[in-house]
Amino acid sequence: MTSDTLLTADGISRRYGARFAVHDLTLTLRRGEVLGLLGLNGAGKSTALQMLTGVLAPDTGRVTLGGFDLARDPKRAKRVLGYLPEVPPLYPEARVDEYLDFCAALHRVQASLRAGVVAAAKARCGLTAVGPRLIRNLSKGYQQRVGIAQAIIHDPTVLILDEPTAGLDPAQMHEMRELIRTLGAERAILLSTHLLTEAASICSRVVIVHHGRMVYDAALNHGAYRLALELRAAPPRATLAALAAVVDVHDFGAGKFELEVNDFDRAAEAIGAAAAQHGWGLRELKVGDSALERTFLGLTRDHTEAST
Amino acid sequence: MIGVVAKREALSLFRSPLAWVVLAAVQGLVGYQFLAQIDVFVQYLPRIRSMPQPPGVVQLVVIPTVGLTAFLMLFLIPLLTMQTLSGERRTGILRLWYSAPLSLTSLVLGKFLGVMALQSVIWALNALMPLTLLWGTALDLGTYAANLLGLYLLMAAGTAIGLFFSALTAQPAVAAMGSFATLLALWLIDWASQLETRANLLSELSLLAHFQRLTRGLVTTADVGYFVALMATALALTVWRLTGDRRAH
Repeated sequence: MTSDTLLTADGISRRYGARFAVHDLTLTLRRGEVLGLLGLNGAGKSTALQMLTGVLAPDTGRVTLGGFDLARDPKRAKRVLGYLPEVPPLYPEARVDEYLDFCAALHRVQASLRAGVVAAAKARCGLTAVGPRLIRNLSKGYQQRVGIAQAIIHDPTVLILDEPTAGLDPAQMHEMRELIRTLGAERAILLSTHLLTEAASICSRVVIVHHGRMVYDAALNHGAYRLALELRAAPPRATLAALAAVVDVHDFGAGKFELEVNDFDRAAEAIGAAAAQHGWGLRELKVGDSALERTFLGLTRDHTEAST
Repeated sequence: MIGVVAKREALSLFRSPLAWVVLAAVQGLVGYQFLAQIDVFVQYLPRIRSMPQPPGVVQLVVIPTVGLTAFLMLFLIPLLTMQTLSGERRTGILRLWYSAPLSLTSLVLGKFLGVMALQSVIWALNALMPLTLLWGTALDLGTYAANLLGLYLLMAAGTAIGLFFSALTAQPAVAAMGSFATLLALWLIDWASQLETRANLLSELSLLAHFQRLTRGLVTTADVGYFVALMATALALTVWRLTGDRRAH
C-alpha cells in the first residue's frame, strides 16, 4: 500500500436479517481522487458509507483510513476522516460559529487554532456572513453548507459525503460541486449520489452498487457523450464523422443525427463552426444520455431482472 | 474529550425551555415546602423544647425538604435525560459522535456530566436554602451534609439510569417512561417488607431505604456504595448498548 492510498475497504459485508445490505465490497481510494458511489435508492450506499466511517461495524471485512485500521485503532483512523451523513448532524439551537467551534474541538483541534479553522471553513463554504445566526433559522442550502463545513473543519485527508447536494437548488448545487472539486485536489473524496450528471461532472472514478454488490468500478471518461443533432440542410454522414472529436454518427434521416463524441466541448465547437460555415442550418444540438448513464441503466436493469 | 461532550450537552439542556421549567417547578415546590416546614417548626417550638431529646431544625425542616426534592427528581430526571441519546438517535447527531475520534465511554461520561451540570444547580439551590436558617438558629451541619450527599448520589444514579433508557430507543417519551418506571420501582420496592425489622433483599435494593439512612445522617460505605454501584452499572450498560448499536442487525 502506498502512502497515497487513503482509504481501503477489504471485503466488507453487512447483513440485516437474511438480506445483505452490502456484500463483499472492496474499494481503494487515493489522494486526489473523487470517487462517486452510485446506485438506486436502497442499493446499500448509505450502509456502505456508514461502515467506512465507523458508524456501523461491518460483519466481515476490514476498513482502513489513512493507514489506520478502523476497528483496531478507531481514534487515529477517525482523525483523518470528515463525514457528512445524509442528514447533516446539526444542533438547531446552536449558532453557526459555536457549532463549528464545537466540531473543531470534537476533532481535537487545539483551542488556540480553533478560531482560525472555523473562519477558514466558513470562508470555504460561503458561511462567513451567517456566523452569528442560529442554525435553526438557516435555509436548507445553508444548513447543508454547515454540514460540509463541519466535515472539513479539521482538514481531514479523507472526506466521505452522503448525497452532498441533496435538497440544494441548482445554483447551490453548482457551488457545492465546485467546492468538492477544489477540496478533491489534495484529499480523497468519496461521495454517494443518485444523480448521474453529478457523478459525471465531479468524479474521477465511479463505483456502481446494486443490491449491495459492487457491479462496476472504473475511471470516468469525462468527454464520452452522445449528442442529438438536428440540421436543416444536412451534409453526408461522412462529413459529420470527420469533425473533431466525433467517434461515430447515426443518421436517423430528416436531418436528425446522433453523434458519439469523446470530448463534448471540442465536438460542440466544431459542429457549431462547421454549421455556420457551410450553412447547414443548426436547429438543435443537445446532450443525449452519457456513457455513464447507459452503463448505469444497463447494470442496474439487468440485475433487477435477474433477481426477480 | 469528555469535557467537550459535557459542555455541548449542558448547553443544549440550558437552552431548552424544559430545563428552566424544571428548575422553576422544583424551586417553587421545594421553596414552599421549606417555608411550610419552618412554619410548623415555629408553631410547635414550645412543645418541642419540652421533649427529653428534642428534634432539631434539620430533622424538622431540612430532611422533609430534601426528601421532597428527591421524590420530585424521580419524575424530573427522566424528563431531563430522555433527549440526551434518543433525541440524537432520531436527528442523526449520533452519527457525528460515532464518526468522531472519541470513545463511547467518553461520550457516555460526557453526556452524564452534562446532565449532572443542570442537576447541580437544583442541588445547589437545595443546599443554599437551609443555610439561610443559620441567621436564626444553629444547624446540625453533619446531618445537613449527609442529606446533600444523599440527594446528589440519588441524582447521579437516577441520571445514569435515565441515560441508559435514552440509549435504548429513538423515542424520547418511551425513554422517559422507562426510566421513570424503573426509578419509581426502585424507590418503592421495599414497601411490602417495610414492616419487617431485619434486613432483607428488597430493602437492600431500595433507593428509598438507602436514601433515608443517608438523610438521617448515617453515612455508611454500604449506602454510598449502593448508589455508586447503581450509577456505574447503568453507565456501563449504556456504553454496552451503544457498542451493540453499531453491530446490531
